[in-house]
Amino acid sequence: MIEWLKRRYREDFGGDPLRLALAMVGLAMILAVVVAFLYLVVGRTLKAVWSAWGWDVVRLFLGMVGVMAVVFGNALFLVWAERKVAGHMQIRIGPKEVGPYGLLQSIADSAKLLAKEIITPRLVDRPLYLLAPLVIFVPCLVAMVVIPFDARLQVRDINVGVVLILAFSSLTVLAIFMAGWGSVNKYSLIGGVRSISQGIAYEIPMLLAIIPVVMMSGTLSLKGIVEAQSRLWFVAVQPVAFLIYFISAVAETNRTPFDLPEAESELVAGYHTEYSGMRFSLFFLAEYTNMFIVSALATVFFLGGYKGPVLPGVVWFFLKTYFLIFIIMWFRWTFPRVRFDQLLNFSWKLLIPLAMANLLVTGGLLKL
Amino acid sequence: MVAEELLRGLEGLGLEIREALYERQGFWFDIHCPRDRIVEVAEAFDEKGYWIEDVLCVDWRERLELLYHFNHWEDPRRLSVRVQVDPADPEVPSICKVFPGAGWHEREIHEFFGVRFKGHPNLAYLFLHDEIDFYPLRKDRVPIPEEDKRLLTSMDFSPEEEDAFWINMGPQHPSTHGVLRLILKMRGEYIERAEPVLGYMHRMQEKMAEVRTYAQYYPNTARLDYVGPLAFSQCFVGAMERLCGLEVPERAQVIRTITLELNRIASHLLWLGTFLLDLGATTPYFFAFDDREQILDLMEGLTGARLTFSFFRIGGLYEDLNDGFLEGVARFIERMKKRFQIYDDLVTGNIIFVKRTKDVGVIPREVARRYGATGPTLRGSGVAYDVRRSEPYAAYSDFPPEVVVRQEGDSYARYLVRLEEIKRSLMVLEQAIERVPEGPFRLQKTPKKPVPGEVYFATESPRGQVGIYIVSDGTDKPYRLKWRSPSFSNLAAFTEVVKGQLIADAVATLGSLDLVIPEMDR
Amino acid sequence: MNVREVAGGALSLLKGMKVTIRAFFGPSVTCQYPRQTLELSPRFRGHIKLVPDEQGRLKCRVCGLCARSCPTDCIVVEGEKREGQKHKTLTRFLLDFTRCSHCGLCVEVCPTGAIGFSQDYNLASFKKEDFYFDLLEEFERRQKPV
Repeated sequence: MIEWLKRRYREDFGGDPLRLALAMVGLAMILAVVVAFLYLVVGRTLKAVWSAWGWDVVRLFLGMVGVMAVVFGNALFLVWAERKVAGHMQIRIGPKEVGPYGLLQSIADSAKLLAKEIITPRLVDRPLYLLAPLVIFVPCLVAMVVIPFDARLQVRDINVGVVLILAFSSLTVLAIFMAGWGSVNKYSLIGGVRSISQGIAYEIPMLLAIIPVVMMSGTLSLKGIVEAQSRLWFVAVQPVAFLIYFISAVAETNRTPFDLPEAESELVAGYHTEYSGMRFSLFFLAEYTNMFIVSALATVFFLGGYKGPVLPGVVWFFLKTYFLIFIIMWFRWTFPRVRFDQLLNFSWKLLIPLAMANLLVTGGLLKL
Repeated sequence: MVAEELLRGLEGLGLEIREALYERQGFWFDIHCPRDRIVEVAEAFDEKGYWIEDVLCVDWRERLELLYHFNHWEDPRRLSVRVQVDPADPEVPSICKVFPGAGWHEREIHEFFGVRFKGHPNLAYLFLHDEIDFYPLRKDRVPIPEEDKRLLTSMDFSPEEEDAFWINMGPQHPSTHGVLRLILKMRGEYIERAEPVLGYMHRMQEKMAEVRTYAQYYPNTARLDYVGPLAFSQCFVGAMERLCGLEVPERAQVIRTITLELNRIASHLLWLGTFLLDLGATTPYFFAFDDREQILDLMEGLTGARLTFSFFRIGGLYEDLNDGFLEGVARFIERMKKRFQIYDDLVTGNIIFVKRTKDVGVIPREVARRYGATGPTLRGSGVAYDVRRSEPYAAYSDFPPEVVVRQEGDSYARYLVRLEEIKRSLMVLEQAIERVPEGPFRLQKTPKKPVPGEVYFATESPRGQVGIYIVSDGTDKPYRLKWRSPSFSNLAAFTEVVKGQLIADAVATLGSLDLVIPEMDR
Repeated sequence: MNVREVAGGALSLLKGMKVTIRAFFGPSVTCQYPRQTLELSPRFRGHIKLVPDEQGRLKCRVCGLCARSCPTDCIVVEGEKREGQKHKTLTRFLLDFTRCSHCGLCVEVCPTGAIGFSQDYNLASFKKEDFYFDLLEEFERRQKPV
């Protein structure tokens, strides 16, 4: 280091004190400007924010960090769990080499995906193609903000939490279309188109199944809904709504038996055919986070959220959520795929009328 | 009977008919037909309800001989129509208007021998590609004339209408069961036309036969259909035994039957796994392969190989039974009977599976007849035709298997037929392992050079009827050897049936046909 | 869609789920290769090898039947007549394993039973040349007292 400084001095300023003096003055001026900026602009903003919100900022920040931790931890866990569950259901063992019981497999998979070459085909529609993985992932993070992990563990309890969640989960449909159209590829397009019609078709029964719950608890805030289940879980009162919600949730997250948009045996890989490496892993991450969110919502709406004896609420919440995730995986490894028109028929002709009938009955009974 | 009526009619038309010896040749009657009357003859066969088995060509240097084999479901006696063609003017009217199944056979003969079929809509390349400039299966190197080259490369894939586009289910595809390329003309989600491009696994098996002795060619037969190799092996050794008039010892016949039925069960189990994999259910594959492993372990103990068993020899078997084989088979039968419950629970009643396969890919009887479909594809459409009953070989006359038939003709029916066939095979096995006679397992002396002549032999592979036609000229190498592959004819029927279906349905139908591409491409 | 169809359908799905959950809690049937290996059957067809007689000598008489009966011409057999020996002595026995199809014709046709199948299956390599086996050298290596 010293050698380098000495050499620079010799090369740049060697023997010329005027040049050295000018350089020092210039540096001092830049330093002064930077310090002034930091003090005047950034410092003042921070001070203003602190005086307005106080500790809330810290709380918000910690909450977002916690949510990110849950999302990524969940993804890591689910990658391993899916492979293990699949393995055991197929009378074999899943991963077992990387770490004890294959627990480090997710890390190995992530490392592999990071090291992959990111290939961007030349003819893609660049803005759509490049933004699609982001648009599919970010709404999941937003939806996690309102989920109550415990009575005091919620990033922000918005009083229209249900509406927020439903709104943001519809954005995934947009992202899928961006991916399908942006990768200029017949198969991706067909996959994207199918996925959109599937997404739209199954959002409606999902919504119609949540409304009775909202009616029964009298509030749109998620914490309020959990609190309204302190004596009896809603699944006992609304079993039909629970089934409809669960089936629509599996269809919304594009899981088998409703995974025609990603059907390998027909369309290679559907809308994420042209993505490789980290971009592909963002789609994957979004799918697993979506699975977590819909299961979490199912526990919040129907299975009593974090309510339960003896153990802390967080533990009950995660137990119930992961039990529902196990059932989603169980579905995947048992059933073949539903054909596309049968899928849409199932939603429009069976689930929606059933959900509406359930809604009417609930409304009628509540009035009495 | 039907054959006699037909032959009387043909004699009335002035054609020469000769009786053949079934025990040595494999046909009952030979009909010689001048080449411009072949369409009349085909129409006469069609009227009487015959189905087309095979169309093949033999190059006798000074003439080309075309053979058309016809067979009947109720009166299963093979009739062979011969047309002699002059190599200087090799043009024959095509019969594909009468029997569309002959369309692909004629394309194959055109590109391998150079015979032009007048009236054929599309005489383009089926197996070969356009860098070959001679006719491969001819005995001398005959170059391809210019107008033939243009005919061969005349397939056109430009969309004729506005909203139609061509989609390629390429040779690498998770559900085309091997290297099959299907070019589908789609209108929205519906398929208008399917154009298979074959030949990705073409290995010139028929030419290889002409440069190897009969014993040396034998291992090739197992490689033709690696899922059910013993049926092809049986076909070849059966043909040689029929040609030379050899009497195979009883013990060898019974052991052949046992291994053939085990092979049938293994093949159906593999089909079950892959069919459900196409439809999206990944777990039944593992259960099916678990059962299949039991069979493969038994066969490994017996023959030393797990997939390409080179076990039969002309005149018997390669080795005798090992210890524990028969007990192993008995244990396997007991275990397999209990496993059907799993398949019934997981697959057969599953409403998603039923909805995917019921009324999907219905193959009507007439279509199956005109295309020459055989095997479970045919038996699912209501026709009780099984080569093991109509032309018994090995020890099937002692242990006749029950023929499973369903009437609906859709993919679900074919699935049920195959599942039932596994049960019937288990019944045959139960009987056969009790009655394995003592004695030699192989003939001591088999002729190296068979007598000159021709022979046809047919067996029932898990996919359908396999046929082999061998012309021997008295040397130790075959003069001409032709395989009749069941998947070839079944796929031709598929292209007719897939019009107007969705892609998902096309995948389900393709899976239910149980195609194995290497036997199709040879 | 009537009620009976829906109910029947749902029941069929539950039956299927029962199968998989039983498999989930049941044992796995796979063999954890390479930590466990399965026993091969005695008739397993690996590549061919020269088989010694009771005194540990070669039985090969260099008749060349194996080379002639091979469908893919992958055997090269050479020998020379030595003093006082009734048959030729083997000097070279090469197997081109890249072309061998394990058909067993050579084993079958050998009049003295000098060739047999080995049980080697772990034969992966990076070079094609590793599969041109010199069976005579391999035989001598096996027979050398340890």
